[in-house]
Amino acid sequence: MTPLDTSATGVGASLPRLDAREKVTGRAQYIADMVRPGMLHAAIHASPHAHARIRGYDTAEAQAVPGVACVLTGDDFPDGRMGAFIKDEPAIAKGKVRYPGEPVAVVAAEDEETARRAAALIRVDYEDLPVAATPEEAVAPDAPLIHEGLADYFKVFPAICGGNVASETELSEGDVDAAWADCDVIVEGDFETPAQAHLSIEPVGALAEVDAEGRVTLWSANQSVFRVQANVCEALQLPMSKLRCLTPKVGAGFGNKMEPHVQPLVVQLALKTGRPVKLILNRTEDFETVRARHPFKIRCKTGAKKDGTLVARELSAVLDCGAYGDDSPGVLGYSLLMSRGPYRIPHCRASGKLVYTNRMRFGAFRGFGNPQVTFATESQIDEIAGRLGMDPLDLRMKNRMQPGDRWFGGGEVASNGLAECIEKAKAAAGWARGRALPAPPGKRRALGVAACAHISGLLATGAIVRLLEDGSVVLNTGAVDIGQGSDTVLTQMCASALKVPADRVAIASPDTDGSPYNWGTTASRVTYTTGRSVVAAAGKVAEQIKRHASEIFECAVEDLELRDGGRVGIKGVPDKELSFFEVSGRAHWAAGGPIVGTDTWVYNQPSVDPKRALARGLPFPQIGVYSFGCMIAAVEIDETTGKADVVEVWSAMDVGKAINPGSVEGQIEGGFVQGMGFALTEEMVFDGPRLANPSMMDYKAPTSLDAPFDIHSIIVEAAEPGGPFGAKGIGEIGLVPVPAAIANAVASAIGTRLRRLPLTPERVLDGMLEDGDED
Amino acid sequence: MEFVRPDSIEATVAALQADGAACLAGGATLVAMMNADLVAPHRLVSLRDVAALREAARQPDGTVVVGAMRRHRETAEETDLRDGQLVLSEAAAQIANPPVRNMGTIGGSCAFADPAADYPPALLAADARFSLIGAEGRRTVPAGDFFLDWYETALEPGELIESVVLPPAPARTVGSYTKLARVAGDFAIASVALVLGMDGRACIHLAVAVGACGPAPVRRRDVEADLIGGGLGDTEIRRLTDALAEAFDPVDDVRASADYRRRVAPRMVRQALVEAQQRISETP
Repeated sequence: MTPLDTSATGVGASLPRLDAREKVTGRAQYIADMVRPGMLHAAIHASPHAHARIRGYDTAEAQAVPGVACVLTGDDFPDGRMGAFIKDEPAIAKGKVRYPGEPVAVVAAEDEETARRAAALIRVDYEDLPVAATPEEAVAPDAPLIHEGLADYFKVFPAICGGNVASETELSEGDVDAAWADCDVIVEGDFETPAQAHLSIEPVGALAEVDAEGRVTLWSANQSVFRVQANVCEALQLPMSKLRCLTPKVGAGFGNKMEPHVQPLVVQLALKTGRPVKLILNRTEDFETVRARHPFKIRCKTGAKKDGTLVARELSAVLDCGAYGDDSPGVLGYSLLMSRGPYRIPHCRASGKLVYTNRMRFGAFRGFGNPQVTFATESQIDEIAGRLGMDPLDLRMKNRMQPGDRWFGGGEVASNGLAECIEKAKAAAGWARGRALPAPPGKRRALGVAACAHISGLLATGAIVRLLEDGSVVLNTGAVDIGQGSDTVLTQMCASALKVPADRVAIASPDTDGSPYNWGTTASRVTYTTGRSVVAAAGKVAEQIKRHASEIFECAVEDLELRDGGRVGIKGVPDKELSFFEVSGRAHWAAGGPIVGTDTWVYNQPSVDPKRALARGLPFPQIGVYSFGCMIAAVEIDETTGKADVVEVWSAMDVGKAINPGSVEGQIEGGFVQGMGFALTEEMVFDGPRLANPSMMDYKAPTSLDAPFDIHSIIVEAAEPGGPFGAKGIGEIGLVPVPAAIANAVASAIGTRLRRLPLTPERVLDGMLEDGDED
Repeated sequence: MEFVRPDSIEATVAALQADGAACLAGGATLVAMMNADLVAPHRLVSLRDVAALREAARQPDGTVVVGAMRRHRETAEETDLRDGQLVLSEAAAQIANPPVRNMGTIGGSCAFADPAADYPPALLAADARFSLIGAEGRRTVPAGDFFLDWYETALEPGELIESVVLPPAPARTVGSYTKLARVAGDFAIASVALVLGMDGRACIHLAVAVGACGPAPVRRRDVEADLIGGGLGDTEIRRLTDALAEAFDPVDDVRASADYRRRVAPRMVRQALVEAQQRISETP
């Protein structure tokens, strides 16, 4: 093996995505591309009602359509229920429907058109029930009960629930009620954020196949083959050993593909027909039935002393849960944990309520509740600065968490790059030139800033690193690359840990049969948690390589080192070395056995210290490590129409260590643009319980034509002690400060504070004409 | 569904005389609607091979005839359009996005008659006429009589848009098209098409049409006529915007509220007229 320059492909190199060529040339296989011999196509019969009892089904007409193989209703599914936090959701509606679009029956047929035609012929006898379309309606005294069995559902945390309230959470430190008296300035306001659609370019889909032994293989668009396995097995009451979950390429996931969608439906159809069955949702179905970002209503109050020292914060939030719990209790708890922001505020209380409604379920979405609360809290930091006549960035610097400070609740923070993020963003944006910028005639321009933090972590992960006979490497982690590039990043880490070029490391596709458990590609966690396992497992391979070399060279293991290009040699003796080929050959054929390194772990640092904080109904005891960020946006307002456009952005994010700087920049840019959509144009509009704009024509996310040309990604590296090469996550944090920074710029430009997203031309124009309450 | 591909206008008209026949021009709208199960024509009559529909030509008097199959991109870059006629190319340049502009046609867009589309106000401001052909022969319909209601035009069943005819614009007029949309490429929340001519401080040509503020583009020729010959200051513009606003009949939709459209469209008209006067005064 010729020695190669490993530094060009290892940690710190902007290695192009391993799958870039296959994706650009259209050869990558996504779930919709997959075909199995004898495969049937499925279609859903969806509920037209928001809330109704199912009295009976008539499927005769659908069954009679030539080409139809199978029609299943709720009567044909087991009674299992799934749910990440509260097991409240059947695979298909049983007994009643709880939101418009909920699957009520499924058809498998020889082709998709036949399946869809037959699905439309299914007759369901419904008895309409009163509807609770909003949290306000759902907590009214005479509200219909959406989950009669809530008290009896299995819950993975001590949920405080009852009526239509799925979960209540509270977290507090200090003495908030007394602290207001110490404040010289107090700002208070109601903030509102809309439902945002994930809008993955790939709608969800799944394909299941049963083997001769009755065991099922399931491919699907997903963020975790292991969550797919758990959810399907819970819903269909199957032993996990009877279901193998695999993944094709995934066309983006922002939380929408983490928990179940249509997977249980195709598994049940495959089990009933004995044939492979594929179901791909069209765009409208994907909009109406998968999940979306929670609408939040937030009341927030913040107080400070005259010199700008922050004293107290109180925040309460009401989240629309939608019809099923899904990830919602987690989103509520996490948003409250983020409500202090990255500041020293000694007295804080955050509380929230998650309310079931007859709308589609809401769930995980990049940021996990943090962008919503950050919109409120970072707006108020600017309001306080305005009231005190202070520079908003100075106020943030003054109150920022210092190294060693603990997070709200008492969790340890081992690395904190916030000061560097603020300073670098400030310098790059030219903050010193003043917040009001020169603008063309008929326009106004201003800068706005927001700081934030986010976690990377949560739950279990693992890695298996194997040395092949020729000394090259196979890495297997079970982590799904959803398009964000984790396969590339994990490969780079493995390559660097073993000092081999990246092209000598193959990465296995996730497989619940063969991969170590990985909770999922979510919570900005793969680089940090899985990377840590990769480094540990590769370290175990390196140890074994050295042990072989020490036996061959008859020297101490401590005297050996790995050398670039896949070699092991005696320190200080350049010509005493062996290639991995030689070592692995010996291991395979002569002594010791093939070399395998494995590592598994579960994140276990407590997020709450009971001596510091009071917590009720918190859904996760152990959350993760902290990243920090600061973003400045230059926003232009059209004085005629009120339309706001972002013209330039500086986003400084602390990632611990950029394993692949090009990928980190991609995440910062992508997070920014998705956050800009949330801030300015994206809104799922509901007509009562029903989504009114389930199409890309009516729901508008920004495209490359709307994104500012200059998005300056500034990478800050405050190394995380336990992180792989010091790295922590970047998947979500880039989005978190965006709505707040844009809203702060808009407030600066028009003189009015807007507290409701999106900042549509209409709202901005109203604010500009009112030209009012901003200090 | 039957698919036919005639190669002449006569054969096309013949093919359209069947129940459930629909013209397939660029497909930008029709195919999307078929995919969404909103329409299901029995016969698709492709216009692709009808060469005569693809031409645009300028006549000696300055009249420009734009064939129904001209793509938006071609119209956006049309060198035969001059002076005030440029309102049409400005509108074409702002339709959707490059792939749609490469597919979509002026005939297809106008026949669909989405009130938030870009051509209807531009054609109304340009005093354009539609040349229609059917089993009974040809007829000409002015743009103001063509766009009738929500997605409804003067086209009779079995009739085809052959071309759109723009009369010569008076020399030294300017045309402009301003569009407000949520994101680049979206349909308009409101849009303003205008053709303006000034002689010193006197207004000698004035045509202002507002899109997306009702079932059809709105124009107030009566007030325009009153303003010809005089100045075009705040008071005069106010007279026009007030009159236009009276004629608006907007709805609430996912793009914006009716109330906002009522308020923003007059502001856009004012801004567009101020900018157009500035452009004229800066032109030597």
